[in-house]
Amino acid sequence: MSKNPIIKIENLYVDFPVKGGLPFQKKKHISAVSDVSLEIYPGETFGIVGESGCGKSTLANAMVGMVKPTGGKVIFKDKDLFSLNRTDFKKTRSDMQMIFQDPFSSLNPRFSVFQLISEPMFIRGGFTKKEMEQRVLELLKLVGLDEKDLHRYPSDFSGGQKQRIGIARAISLNPDLLICDEPVSALDVSVHAQILNLLIDLQEHLKLTYVFISHNLAVVKNVCDRILVMYLGKVMEFGSTKAIYKNPLHPYTNALISAILDLDIKREKTILKGDIPSPIDPPKGCRFWQRCPYAMEGCIDIPAPLLEVEENHFVACHKLSGFNEEQIKNGLDKRINKDE
Amino acid sequence: MSDVLLGLKNLKVIFPAQQGIVRAVEGIDIDILKGECVALVGESGCGKSVTSLAIMRLLNTPPALIEVESINLGGDEITKYSENKMQDVRGKQISMIFQDAMTALNPVMTVGKQIDEVFIKHNKLSKKEARIETIKALRLVGIPEPESRAKAFPHQLSGGLRQRVLIAMAFACMPKLIIADEPTTALDVTIQAQVLEVLRNMQKSHNVSLLLITHDLSVVAHTADTVYVMYSGKIVEKAKVEDLFREPHHPYTEGLLGSIPRLSDTTKHFVQIPDSVPHPMFKPTGCYFHPRCKYATDICKEKMPPLVRLDNGREIRCYHPINFSGGENNE
Repeated sequence: MSKNPIIKIENLYVDFPVKGGLPFQKKKHISAVSDVSLEIYPGETFGIVGESGCGKSTLANAMVGMVKPTGGKVIFKDKDLFSLNRTDFKKTRSDMQMIFQDPFSSLNPRFSVFQLISEPMFIRGGFTKKEMEQRVLELLKLVGLDEKDLHRYPSDFSGGQKQRIGIARAISLNPDLLICDEPVSALDVSVHAQILNLLIDLQEHLKLTYVFISHNLAVVKNVCDRILVMYLGKVMEFGSTKAIYKNPLHPYTNALISAILDLDIKREKTILKGDIPSPIDPPKGCRFWQRCPYAMEGCIDIPAPLLEVEENHFVACHKLSGFNEEQIKNGLDKRINKDE
Repeated sequence: MSDVLLGLKNLKVIFPAQQGIVRAVEGIDIDILKGECVALVGESGCGKSVTSLAIMRLLNTPPALIEVESINLGGDEITKYSENKMQDVRGKQISMIFQDAMTALNPVMTVGKQIDEVFIKHNKLSKKEARIETIKALRLVGIPEPESRAKAFPHQLSGGLRQRVLIAMAFACMPKLIIADEPTTALDVTIQAQVLEVLRNMQKSHNVSLLLITHDLSVVAHTADTVYVMYSGKIVEKAKVEDLFREPHHPYTEGLLGSIPRLSDTTKHFVQIPDSVPHPMFKPTGCYFHPRCKYATDICKEKMPPLVRLDNGREIRCYHPINFSGGENNE
């Protein structure tokens, strides 16, 4: 692709200081996102997958400037988001909007539908009340709600309808980039399809670019063009959806795909043991080694580099990148036996 | 098939409200055999959680009004039990696993102490004996280092571990029946796979019956033996799990199955059921599903179809069942 990326992230780090601890103790940090670089092109759907606590929401928040990164750059349409002054920042940010996970808590219960959807326009200014009302009605139709709903309150709606209101609000300013942070995971399975179809239709209709965050790989497979698999703030695997599903190379991606409860096939399952470890002082080497069924001695201390295994398919795993001769001499390629 | 552990007959639950009456559950029958895993599936608001709470007698009355012909647990009629006796049944004979482990556990008590309570209350053990049993129970559900984890508070554990603690608590006294109300909804996919495996293994190895309440048919496919599909307070289909997935008879079941994203899908669009569940106060006339059903005809708008029992043990409530060879069902 030779097009200009709509958003470009360079070596992004986000750390959060941990509160508490003793006065002269070294301050601890949660490393939520660590050394992530990516480019997203106009019109594509970019998926970010991983378990909760892996930093996917923090990455998304950093993209829209809701979280200040500790290091690295976010370049949106050739502008460095965090070096802009306040006015420019606000202006730039109306081109990127977010759809939140939980429509029950992301809508103010005391605002009517009209107030909710027109709020972005109100904040941006330059619209008369009449224009706003017309636009809101237009938006309601677009997301499949009724004109009569204009003056009702969020409590009158079901989960799926609330999420539609959230979507209408997000597209009210004609953004270019829409970040969907687990848009369906709080909803019933039967409503998932409705909301996902709506998002797909809107994308075709309004030429939107999506960043789609999810932990459901079955959904991601059908919606996204490219995906990024994250674990504990690091990129594990990255590439086109086709390549990754055809040939998942990282053990973590493999485990995620095999954990999907599928109706069609009884597959052999690799069920991961244990939970995602605490992001405070994460493992020095490969962050996945504690749960990895193929972990080797070298994985403990040496981080795996992100290697391009085929076109548009990057993997960070020692299984593929291997060790150099000296390291092999030191026995770093020995398998760790975790079954004792 | 006389090994019925729990026989629920004609359960009705209504909630009177200012604007009208909410008919949450409208006369449902459920039979659970010994050692069987029964799933109750439906969208939110269809009355599946209310059903489970009614069996446990955990609904507050008022506001709820419960009417039931019989709840038979292993030969005893538990509807006639006094509240005191019911307390002995809960935890000892029927226990429950709740959806959200964080709110189901007491945040200011260590998890060990919370499980101890079950043993002290029902098995009349001393504190020390109870702790030994607790650690055994924790080990059984696969919690690493159970001795130290028993001293942890709920917030110190991850979501998957918390859910395992709840499972350990439910299995503590080896009850005859466990009701699991959406046990994995709040969890990640990888953790969900772990927890379901634990639940299934525990259920099989101790020969306990399980009533699994969920809205996710893919969970059902991997755990249940028999499935009841519920819609708007009524059972619309009952079948063995393989039969249900191979050929669903009710249009609603077909829709539910279709709306699950699959890895083998090739098209970008998802199959969807239009609209949403009717408001429980303003249910449509006739078959409750007809406004969303593509097979609906005039009779569906006028009369609620009866629940018909087929030869192979399946039950279905529909005038126009699909994938059905036995002709159309006209009363």
